[in-house]
Amino acid sequence: MTRRPLDSLATAIVIAAAQLVPRGARSDWIAEWRGELWHTVHQASGEICELAGMTPLRFSMGAMQDAFWLRTDCISGWAAHALRRGSVARCTIVLLSLAILGLIVCLVLPRSRTALFANLYPDARELVVLSSKGQEGTQTPSIHLAEYREWATDTAGLFSQIAFYHPAISPLHLAHHATPELSVIVGSSNLLHLLGAMQPGDRTARSQETGRLFLSRSAWQRWYRSDPAIFGRRAEVTGQAVVIAGVIPDSEWHLPGRADAWLLEDAAGLNRLAPNAKGFVIARIRDSAFPPPRAGWRWMVQMRHGKLYRYACISLASVSLQPVGEFLMALLLAVLALPATTALPLGDYPLSREPLRRWLIARRWLFLGSKFLLVAMIVFLWSTALAFASQPANLSDAAGIEALAAFLPLLIGFRWVLQDQRKRCPVCLCLLSNPARVGQPSCNFLGWSGTELICISGHGLLHIPELPTSWFATQRWLCLDPSWHCLFAEAAATSPESA
Amino acid sequence: MGGMPGEAKLSHTAAMILQAIHAGQIYGFSVMAMTGLPSGTVYPAMRRLERDGLIVSKWEQQSIADAEQRPPRKYYRLTRTGKATLEAVYKRYPLLEKMIPSPEMDRV
Repeated sequence: MTRRPLDSLATAIVIAAAQLVPRGARSDWIAEWRGELWHTVHQASGEICELAGMTPLRFSMGAMQDAFWLRTDCISGWAAHALRRGSVARCTIVLLSLAILGLIVCLVLPRSRTALFANLYPDARELVVLSSKGQEGTQTPSIHLAEYREWATDTAGLFSQIAFYHPAISPLHLAHHATPELSVIVGSSNLLHLLGAMQPGDRTARSQETGRLFLSRSAWQRWYRSDPAIFGRRAEVTGQAVVIAGVIPDSEWHLPGRADAWLLEDAAGLNRLAPNAKGFVIARIRDSAFPPPRAGWRWMVQMRHGKLYRYACISLASVSLQPVGEFLMALLLAVLALPATTALPLGDYPLSREPLRRWLIARRWLFLGSKFLLVAMIVFLWSTALAFASQPANLSDAAGIEALAAFLPLLIGFRWVLQDQRKRCPVCLCLLSNPARVGQPSCNFLGWSGTELICISGHGLLHIPELPTSWFATQRWLCLDPSWHCLFAEAAATSPESA
Repeated sequence: MGGMPGEAKLSHTAAMILQAIHAGQIYGFSVMAMTGLPSGTVYPAMRRLERDGLIVSKWEQQSIADAEQRPPRKYYRLTRTGKATLEAVYKRYPLLEKMIPSPEMDRV
C-alpha cells in the first residue's frame, strides 16, 4: 500500500504534537500514537473506521489534545510540588504577598502615601526652618513672635520670604452649636503661599480679608460634611470671627504641629497671640544669598543692637519626617542586635563526592539575600503604615512610632531568616523534615547526639548537635549519593528535570 | 476523582471508556470505535484513568507485532480498583452496561 499525502501529514502532526509531551514520556507516547495511527491508516476503508467516522488526519488531530493534556498535567504536578509546604516558591510567595499587602495599606492611607511617595514641597531645597537652638528647635515651638519680627526685617537680604506659625488647640463654633476642638495653625498670611500649598491664582487666595481660615480636607469632611457652600461663611475660632477661605489636602502639610485648620493673619492679627507664644519660622533663601543647605543645616551669625546672635538655617527636608531615614536607623540597630539573638553561621556544608554546583551555591545565597530584602521591605511598609495610620501629634511622634515599630519586627524577622536558612536543604532549598533524635547526651564522648533532619527529595541529612563539642561544633550537612534516590522516588518523579 | 475504590465520581465519558476497556476493547483505537468518541477525548481520558490507578497499560510483545508486520500496540486493562469503581459507576449510570455489554453480560 502506498502512503497517501494525508497519511504523511497525520504522521507529521503526531511528531509535532510529541514536542509538547514531557521528555521522559515522549518516546513511549510517540510509539503508541504511531502504532494506533498505523491501524487507522490500514483500516481506513474498513468497517471499524466507518463506525467511528475516523480518518487518519482526524485521528491524528487528537494527538495534539493528548499531548497538551500531558503537558498541563505535568506542569500542574510540578507546580504542586514547587508550592508544597516549605518550598522556596511558597516562602517567596508568602513574603511577597506580605510586602504587596503592606504597599497596598500604605497606598490606601493618605498620610503614609504622602510620606512615601509625595514630594515634600515643590521647592523644598530653598526652604529652611530658622531656629535659635539648632536641630533641637525644629520639633517644638521655640521662636517668640517678637524674634520673628526682628528676623523678618534684619534678614531681608538673605531671605526673600519669611513666615511664622504657632500651633494651637481651639474650639470651632459651628452653626448647630457643636464646638469641636481643632488643632489650628495660626500663621502669618504668607505661610501657605510660601510652602506652595496654596497657589497665588487660587480663588480663595485672592481674599485679603484678615482671619482667613483654611480647613484640612479631613476636617471639612468631618465637621462640614464636605459642604461645598461653606466658602465665605463665618466661623469662630481662637475667640475671633474668621472667614472660611478654602480647603487644603491633609497631605500638603509636612511641618511640625498637627493641623486641622490654618488661620492666616496679617501682622495686626498675629499681635492677638499671647506675648509669650512661641512658634516656628520658615523662610525662603534668596538665590544670591548662600547655597541652600539641602538636607543639612548651617549656623548663621548676625549682629543686632551691638549684640551677636546665632541662629540655624535648617533645610525643610531634614525637618520633615522621612520614613526611610528612621527605618534605616532601626535597621542598623537590628543588625547590631542580631548576634545577641541567634548564631550567625549558617552551618557546615562540606562538599560531597558530588560537589554542589556553583549555581546551586549562588542560588542559596540569592535566596538568603532575597529573604533579608523582603523582610526589610515588609517591615518598612508596615511600620510606615502604622506610624501614619493615626494622625500623630507631631512628626517626632511619627518618627518614634516608625523606629519602634520597625526595630523589633526587623530583629525577629532577620532571626527567622537565619534560622529558616539553616533548616533548608542546600540543594533544593526546601525545608528539612522528619526530625529524629540521635544518640544520647551521656554518650557524647563516643558519638554525637542531637537532631537529624532529612531532605524529602533525598539530597541529604542535616545533623544538629545538641551539645556543641570541639569536633562537632556546628550543624553539619551529609550529602546522600544517588544510590539513595530510590528511597525518594516520589520526590524524584515530580522534579522539574523529569519534564 | 482520586481513584478511591468504590467512589463513583467518573464523568460519563470516562465511565464509557472504562466500560469499553472492561468489555475487551483494550486498544485506544478500538475504544474509540466502540464508544464513538474522538481520539482527542479518548486518549487523554485514558491517561487520567491510568494516572488514577483505574487502568494499567502494557506493551504487547515485539515478536507478535513483528510476526504481523506492524508496529507494537499498547493495550490497557482494568485494575482491581478500576473494577470496583466500575461496579459503583453502574449505580450512577445504569444504562452503561447495556450500551457496552461486558463479557459477563454476554455470557448471561
